[in-house]
Amino acid sequence: MNQKRYFILLALLAALVLSFGCGKQTVDTPRDPHAQLSEEERARLAEEQRRQEMERQALEERRLQEERLARERDRVSDEQLLEEVIDVILATRIHFAFDSYELNQEARSELQKIAENLKKFDTLRLVIEGHCDERGTAEYNLALGERRARAAYEFLILLGVPSQRLQIISYGEERPLDPRSNESAWAQNRRAEFKILQ
Amino acid sequence: MLIKKILPKQLTFLIVLSVLLLMSNSSLLAQESLKIDIFGPGQDQINIFIAPALPLGHDVFQDNEHPERIRNLLRQNLRLLPFLRDTRDAEILGGPEVAGVRGADIDFRKFNLSRVDMLITIGVDQQAGLPGSVELRAFEVFGQRMVLGKAYTVHEPDQIHLMVRRFCAELMDYLTGHGGFFQAKIAFERKHDDIKEIWTVTPLGHDLRRITSLNAIALSPEWSPDSEKIAFTLLKDNRNSLGVWTRSTDEVSVYNLPGNTVISPAFAPDGRLSVSIDPMGRPDIYWLDRDFRMDKAIMEHWAIDVSPSFDRSGNKMAFASGRLGNPHIFVINLATNQVQRVTYDGRYNTNPTISPDGRYVAFTRQTPDGHRIFLTDLETGRERQLSFGPGNDEDPSFAPDGYFIAFSSNRDGRYRLYLTTRNGDSPIIIPTGDGHATAPAWGREPEF
Repeated sequence: MNQKRYFILLALLAALVLSFGCGKQTVDTPRDPHAQLSEEERARLAEEQRRQEMERQALEERRLQEERLARERDRVSDEQLLEEVIDVILATRIHFAFDSYELNQEARSELQKIAENLKKFDTLRLVIEGHCDERGTAEYNLALGERRARAAYEFLILLGVPSQRLQIISYGEERPLDPRSNESAWAQNRRAEFKILQ
Repeated sequence: MLIKKILPKQLTFLIVLSVLLLMSNSSLLAQESLKIDIFGPGQDQINIFIAPALPLGHDVFQDNEHPERIRNLLRQNLRLLPFLRDTRDAEILGGPEVAGVRGADIDFRKFNLSRVDMLITIGVDQQAGLPGSVELRAFEVFGQRMVLGKAYTVHEPDQIHLMVRRFCAELMDYLTGHGGFFQAKIAFERKHDDIKEIWTVTPLGHDLRRITSLNAIALSPEWSPDSEKIAFTLLKDNRNSLGVWTRSTDEVSVYNLPGNTVISPAFAPDGRLSVSIDPMGRPDIYWLDRDFRMDKAIMEHWAIDVSPSFDRSGNKMAFASGRLGNPHIFVINLATNQVQRVTYDGRYNTNPTISPDGRYVAFTRQTPDGHRIFLTDLETGRERQLSFGPGNDEDPSFAPDGYFIAFSSNRDGRYRLYLTTRNGDSPIIIPTGDGHATAPAWGREPEF
């Protein structure tokens, strides 16, 4: 009896082992589904894949295009900004008292704006021109014009503008803004002004 | 051709044939009454009369234009000398004519009665062609004797003014001991629109010539002692540079110097050039070497130092400095480095020019009525005003004779050049053509 039961158990065990082996085989069978796909189905799938790929490429194109446009927009606005900054710098004039090269409060704040703009656009280089009114004599005024330009130059350097980006020239009384001989013309002509160095 | 190269151009055409020295030794001693001390405190004035030209050799002139021109030019030239008074034809009792150009032919009594001190006669021989051979004689009327006689051959009408200048130089030299004035060439700035170029002209306005064509701003011309070069400030291409024109090549060289400024170049008598530059960040006065590169400093100070001017010895240099808060004039003794303050009045004194003998400094002072020329005697410290406007009188420059002073003034609305003397004689205009003329500087014509 015991022997019989042992055999039955062995047989069941063998059947179990065999049943596991058969199960594995049935799982392996659908490993290549295409093998069972029709020709038509395969073409449809390939078409589908191609379409997806094209959509992906189009999307990528659109993204790149948008990036390009964004960059262009940035560049144009930078250029516009630079032009505006240059216009502001060219229009800036610092005025002085007679026979003086002292920077007043207004002059200092104008120079501060110039320094900020120079920091924003690090390709900008400036010539600082020193000018005088017609009173006083030409040679002394040439020296006074240098002092005025230098006062502006040194203040810009104090504000962190590298000296290599600045140049000085004195015109003395040779380039008046207003050629008349009166107080308001003289006040206009005693100035430092700025030109862009190419 | 060799002669042309060696001799100045004019000399190949204009030949002084002979010097007619007909003075006797005794008359030389008697001449002293006609000598003028132009440097004296109060100068005398000599009445001079230039007789109408007479033909030599022929009874009449083939052409009266050139003889007339000689007479007019003589009058114009001699009018520049404040110690000569030109006597008008109408002032001569019995008429202005002379019977001949030699002393023996002249009725000196009528000129003596007309208070003429010196009579000049002009004889022209047109046989050799126009304008002809010219004899010019100067007579001392009271002593009835010739003090100067010269004969010239003039081949071209253009040479007439040079001949007249040479005669006037001889005459001034005879009267004062200094004839260089008529040999002078004045360099100056002339402005057109925004451009200033350097020009030269004689004190009478002859030989007006532009010597730079830089299409820029050229300032503060200054002659070298040998008159071979003119140095000037050049403002071009966003910088101050030194420009140097050379007579022999008629070319301009440009030199860049350390710093940002090149102001008021001035030659010392030894030919060295000084200039105000700012290598230390402030305008100071430096010597340049022979190649126009920066050499050692003459005057270093935190304040502005510009406009050097040297006396004939080279020992004294006048300059303008802002060291006292306002520009004032100083003189440094270069041997001892002692600095003497020259101006005490006014708040704006600039543009000094020191006399060749080192005794006087003329300068520009700002007054409530505009700039005026003043003169200080360095020995006594005494000061006097030389010019009285209106407008602005600026840029005084002592002539090498120490007598004349050129300056610029806009008294008639436009800047022009004027001549005065260190005695403050009435300013005489120097014709310079169109445009504003400023910054006169004295040189001379080597080929004169």
